[in-house]
Amino acid sequence: MKVTICIGSACHLKGSREIIKEMQELVAANGIKDKVDLNGAFCSGNCVNGVCVTVDGTLYSVQPENTKSFFEKEILGRL
Amino acid sequence: MVTNDATILKMKHDVLCEVAKLAWAGELEEKREELPYKMIPGPQAQFRCCIYKEREIIKQRVRLAEGQCPVGKDSLNVVQVINAACEECPIASYVVTDNCRKCMGKACQNSCNFGAISMDDTRAHIDPNKCKECGKCAQACPYSAIAHLERPCKKVCPVDAITYDENGICVIDEKKCIQCGACIHSCPFGAIGTKTFMVDVIRLINAGKRVVAMVAPATEGQFGPEITMASWKTALKKIGFADMVEVGLGGDMTAAAEAEEWAEAYKEGKKMTTSCCPAFVNMIKQHFPMLLDNMSTTVSPMCGVSRLLKQQDPETTTVFIGPCIAKKSETLDLNIQDNADYAMTFGEIRAMMRAKGVELEPEENTYQESSVFGKRFGNGGGVTAAVVQCFEEMGEDIKPNVMKCNGAAECKKALLLMKVGKLPADFVEGMACVGGCVGGPSKHKTEMEAKKARDILIGSADKRNVHENLKKVGADKVHMHRQ
Repeated sequence: MKVTICIGSACHLKGSREIIKEMQELVAANGIKDKVDLNGAFCSGNCVNGVCVTVDGTLYSVQPENTKSFFEKEILGRL
Repeated sequence: MVTNDATILKMKHDVLCEVAKLAWAGELEEKREELPYKMIPGPQAQFRCCIYKEREIIKQRVRLAEGQCPVGKDSLNVVQVINAACEECPIASYVVTDNCRKCMGKACQNSCNFGAISMDDTRAHIDPNKCKECGKCAQACPYSAIAHLERPCKKVCPVDAITYDENGICVIDEKKCIQCGACIHSCPFGAIGTKTFMVDVIRLINAGKRVVAMVAPATEGQFGPEITMASWKTALKKIGFADMVEVGLGGDMTAAAEAEEWAEAYKEGKKMTTSCCPAFVNMIKQHFPMLLDNMSTTVSPMCGVSRLLKQQDPETTTVFIGPCIAKKSETLDLNIQDNADYAMTFGEIRAMMRAKGVELEPEENTYQESSVFGKRFGNGGGVTAAVVQCFEEMGEDIKPNVMKCNGAAECKKALLLMKVGKLPADFVEGMACVGGCVGGPSKHKTEMEAKKARDILIGSADKRNVHENLKKVGADKVHMHRQ
């Protein structure tokens, strides 16, 4: 599964680094490192929608506060 | 330095600089559309068929400078084709030139195994549909009348990632591209470029974030003997970076960790490769995935320094600066924790400086955070030399047989040998650029041009050893593996 997180400055300021760190920890804690590939992406211009996260091509808007529930629903839930 | 795109370099740099100026002033949103008109005022075209094409190319270059694809496609590739700038170089590979005398011997025709050569009124003719591009006719012609035309971008690509679309416009096969950047300066029309993080870095500095620069080991000597690491530190602080650290320190960190890993592998009889060159790592991942287990798990010098800085202050944003394009792709691999947030080239950072009226100025070298072994990491053979030094410091009596691959073609050859179990060495040092990082695609001077200045600068560094240096700066406690 390819998960892409925007690392452009707008998303950076909205907390993309916190989301990335939490995702890395969640992926490790759930033992799914060989199933989930975490990638950074240059700004795609969707800055108003908060931190842009793409899971297998579908775009989502994620905030640092809801990273865990997002991870459980859209990543764990799809594996 | 003369590259194929030498006369276009100024134009490329001017675009970066104009974008940087607007980004520093916070005016990019309102004024980005004006840039093509400002830079190509017309009414006469200077380089291309018309000013409209020239403006479209500027527009695409601006998008790249902002980190976006030149045209609105969805692609994660760092290296991108500026399709408006691609001049559709001739694809017919072997062509008969004016040198042809339509001689009686017909060596060309007789040497062709595919019946591709016929005679027209004045000279030989090669039927492109029959030609298999074997080159025998060109070798056979006594007048050297048959030329081998290959697109310059395609010629330098080490992984055969460049193809063309139905209109003859260059297309990068992103599954194959290892982001080495060799094609960028090979294009005489400047039609290949990379996405940049320049605007992101400017915005974060403007937003008051603590942004720290990490300058590549290949930097020393690139700008003459008087531009020292201290010069870089001063200039970077002037434009708003909180601090600067030389990544030679990361070279020491990587060498120490790699030495432990190699020592273990050596005793087990397992063959291993280095993992510090991101284009080499991409080559293994994309073209030799069966060898992933043989790739060292040690992180790159860039990642080592980034982890150290984030350990000291988790709020730090780290930005790598060097001659490398593939480093940008390394920052996009988020499976590695706490790596550099962004990577930039010398050209991009200098555009950022120029936009603020800051230049690199001569300064006495008062700054050293790396051993000379870490500083030499950016030279071909430098990684091996640093690891061997670490063996000595550790009291290990190991004399490893290392295949030092100088450039992507040699890397590919070594990996092929390793794949079939015929590698005659214990280890592979993979450097995708000829000469090592100092030969990187975004270098300012060639390895030979910079050598004298580099030797002077590194020669004036003190002779501390690797482990001693790591203890001194507290870098011996950083986790240096991917997982």
